[in-house]
Amino acid sequence: MNSKLRIIAFCCNWCSYAAADLAGISRLAYPPSVRIIRVMCSGMVHPEMVVHALGRGAHGVMIIGCHPGECHYIRGNEIALARAEVLAETLEDLGYEPERFQLVWVSSAEPERLVEAFRQMHDRLLRLFGLIEPDPAAAGGEAVP
Amino acid sequence: MPRTVTIEPVTRIEGHARIRIRLDESGAVDDARVEITSLRGFEQFVIGRPAEELPRIVSRICGVCPWMHHLAAARAVDGCFAVEPPPAGRLLRELCLVLAHIPDKLLHFFFLAAPDFVLGPDCDLRVRNIIGLARQEPELAAQVARLRRLGQDMLARLGGKAVHPVAAVVGGFSRPLGRDERRQLQADAARLLDFALFALDFARERVLEQCAAADQPGRVRTGFLGTVDEHGNLRLGSGRLRLMRPDGTSCDFAATDYGLHLREHSDPWSLAKTVYADSWGEGLSLDPDAPRGVYRVNTLARLNVCDRIATPRAQAELAAFRARFGRPAQATLLHHWARMIELVYAAERVGELLADDRLLDRDVRTPAAPRAGRGVGHVEAPRGTLIHDYATDERGCITRANLIVGTTHNVAAMNLSVRDAATRLIRDGACDEAIQNRIEMALRAYDP
Amino acid sequence: MKPRLASEWLHSCAGCEIALVDLGEGLLELLARVEIVHFPLLMDQKYAGRAGEGDGPELPAADLGLVSGGVASEEQRAILLAMRRSCRTLIALGTCATHGGIPALANERSQAAVRAGVFADCGPAPAEAPACLERVYAVDEVVRPDLCVPGCPPRPEAIAAAILAVLDDELPATPAKSVCETCPARREGRAATRSARRFLDNAEYDPDEDLTRMRCLLEQGLLCMGPVTAGGCGGSGPPLCVQVRVPCRGCYGPVRPGSNPLLDLMNGLAGQGVDRRSVVDRRSLLRFCGAHGLLRPVAGPR
Repeated sequence: MNSKLRIIAFCCNWCSYAAADLAGISRLAYPPSVRIIRVMCSGMVHPEMVVHALGRGAHGVMIIGCHPGECHYIRGNEIALARAEVLAETLEDLGYEPERFQLVWVSSAEPERLVEAFRQMHDRLLRLFGLIEPDPAAAGGEAVP
Repeated sequence: MPRTVTIEPVTRIEGHARIRIRLDESGAVDDARVEITSLRGFEQFVIGRPAEELPRIVSRICGVCPWMHHLAAARAVDGCFAVEPPPAGRLLRELCLVLAHIPDKLLHFFFLAAPDFVLGPDCDLRVRNIIGLARQEPELAAQVARLRRLGQDMLARLGGKAVHPVAAVVGGFSRPLGRDERRQLQADAARLLDFALFALDFARERVLEQCAAADQPGRVRTGFLGTVDEHGNLRLGSGRLRLMRPDGTSCDFAATDYGLHLREHSDPWSLAKTVYADSWGEGLSLDPDAPRGVYRVNTLARLNVCDRIATPRAQAELAAFRARFGRPAQATLLHHWARMIELVYAAERVGELLADDRLLDRDVRTPAAPRAGRGVGHVEAPRGTLIHDYATDERGCITRANLIVGTTHNVAAMNLSVRDAATRLIRDGACDEAIQNRIEMALRAYDP
Repeated sequence: MKPRLASEWLHSCAGCEIALVDLGEGLLELLARVEIVHFPLLMDQKYAGRAGEGDGPELPAADLGLVSGGVASEEQRAILLAMRRSCRTLIALGTCATHGGIPALANERSQAAVRAGVFADCGPAPAEAPACLERVYAVDEVVRPDLCVPGCPPRPEAIAAAILAVLDDELPATPAKSVCETCPARREGRAATRSARRFLDNAEYDPDEDLTRMRCLLEQGLLCMGPVTAGGCGGSGPPLCVQVRVPCRGCYGPVRPGSNPLLDLMNGLAGQGVDRRSVVDRRSLLRFCGAHGLLRPVAGPR
């Protein structure tokens, strides 16, 4: 099924991308609005990529990295955090609602946490944009395209 | 039948304006006014900015006299943060201020004004400009271009850029002057002085007698505002403001008290405000037979209000000027004559400043800390007295800015001059291109 | 027949025109190669028809047009449209034209509010004055220019080169990358402080030593916008502000089309561990490029 929403999720290879894989294996459903882009580290996502995504029609953008202290490259997620703060200010300057961007920490062993974060972003954006869509999980819990 | 003649755009001036002349049934001038058609709103959009950033923002008020805004702003921020630049910082700023008058005046006289006089106010408009002048006098045009460029290059060496400079900062100047630099500047300044004297002679021969001819269009009787030092000498940098009435009596006051003497007023048809002499107690009236509250700034005003000029050649010229035209001199076209005398003064004064050894001190800037305060910076820009009045909050950010630029003081007088010119030149509704140009000449003299 | 040149100035300060005049003798040579058909600063061609009335004004046809200043009023918009119609090749000259420039700082509020504020202490805003648009626009938000020459002002030689390129039917020179490309200051690759510092005291340098011995002004914490600003202000020489030991403030506009210099600079600071809260009035770092939606009314503190 399709969604009218488009959410870009930059997922770090070492944590959230692995968690998404695990979510798939575990048959955990998440909204079809989420489009995952794999990056090697949350810290490599230049804020301009987020602004660009929003400018090109993404309703929401997420960056999902490792918990503090667990970054594969030691400090990458600290940089992601500093950049996220800059981004929050920039989005405000450019007139975007703050709820359209989110930075989340997830570990490779936390697929439920990942899926929950996706669903919450999806629901938040549905409310923000005044849209109504059937809940994919209610239709049997199958992750179908 | 009644109609309106619109001269648009007014050309060979430094800004955007049009002249609208209303003619009655008989083709006589009923009213004429100068409409300024541009407003950027600097006073508003500088609010909230860190005050020390202002000198580089407000220079963009004018690309012809950016140094004036740059320096007035630095002075105003000094006041807000209660810092005084060290002597070298002050001298470097004054050097740049006076030096900047030179290319500005060369531009106005040769590029904008002279074509009317040297080529004739009625000649074909395709010729009546700097290109026509260059064709007729190629050697002169080349010299003007070269020496004007030299002046701008000197300013760029001092301040980073000639247009929209950056070196005047709160507390002083951004870098000290080196010995070799000073030597080179002195050599260049000597060339500028030579040319200034030559330009005055040229002007006298080919232009100024026409300006001095009795009863030229643009006639108006006003007061004057300028700056003098404690001895009554002409000052382009900070000093005392002197406001002179049409009858020649005057009063001096500190720049911070400008609000007690001058008041701003707005009209529905112009984006420029009008300023008038509130302290004369007569209000403002642009009735051509009985103007009230009107005063002028700019070159003629500065010569009128000062008692003397402290540099020798310019003082000799002033004495001759005053012997011939009296004090205060009112004729609008005499702005051109006064401008050339000031050109000589500026060139002489640059030489004096460069000879001051304190200019080479390494200490050019007093560190500042942000604080709540108020500061008024004032300089004499080529176009007239320039006032920047800022207030800051405890973060050192601007809470209020009032800017009175040179031309704004002259808005009332420019309207009166244009009205006089139109009234005398337009007969039976005839207002061809040549007559329009002559009306514009009454405005052009103010170098708006 | 000489090529015809026209020039207009919109929401501008005349600095670009002065830069052109600052060519010196080169200007006279340039002017001799063209026939100037419209140039309010220098010659007396008037409008046929009124600016802002109907399709007015009418401008004479030209082969090359220069337009400086952004677009902030109905009349300026009409003049720009007239320039685009009448000029075969149109050059957007200066940062106001290419990116909005300093006057686009007004975009943090509505133009109507700015105007009302300016006149607040002496009466209502002038009702018969030219109507303003709701914000300041860059030239390319209204028409499609053929060439953009940013700078505040652009170097005289750059303006001449652009004009000559059009006249000689050649490609204009490629602009430099960022300001840093020609900056000789000493870089260590990391910030010297954890806090940005306001320019309330001079940079650290020895005036007896040349620029190569001065530590990079951005690393010194002075928020030099060199890395995020289009280069070329000093030609092949050092950047002009840095030459007098002053940090760059971005007057040539963003380093590449569509980039956001504030975001890029703050991102760089974030990567270096510099506290973003030490930047006062961050949006004033967009002071030269407030068109294209980069500056807009935003509630809340700066």
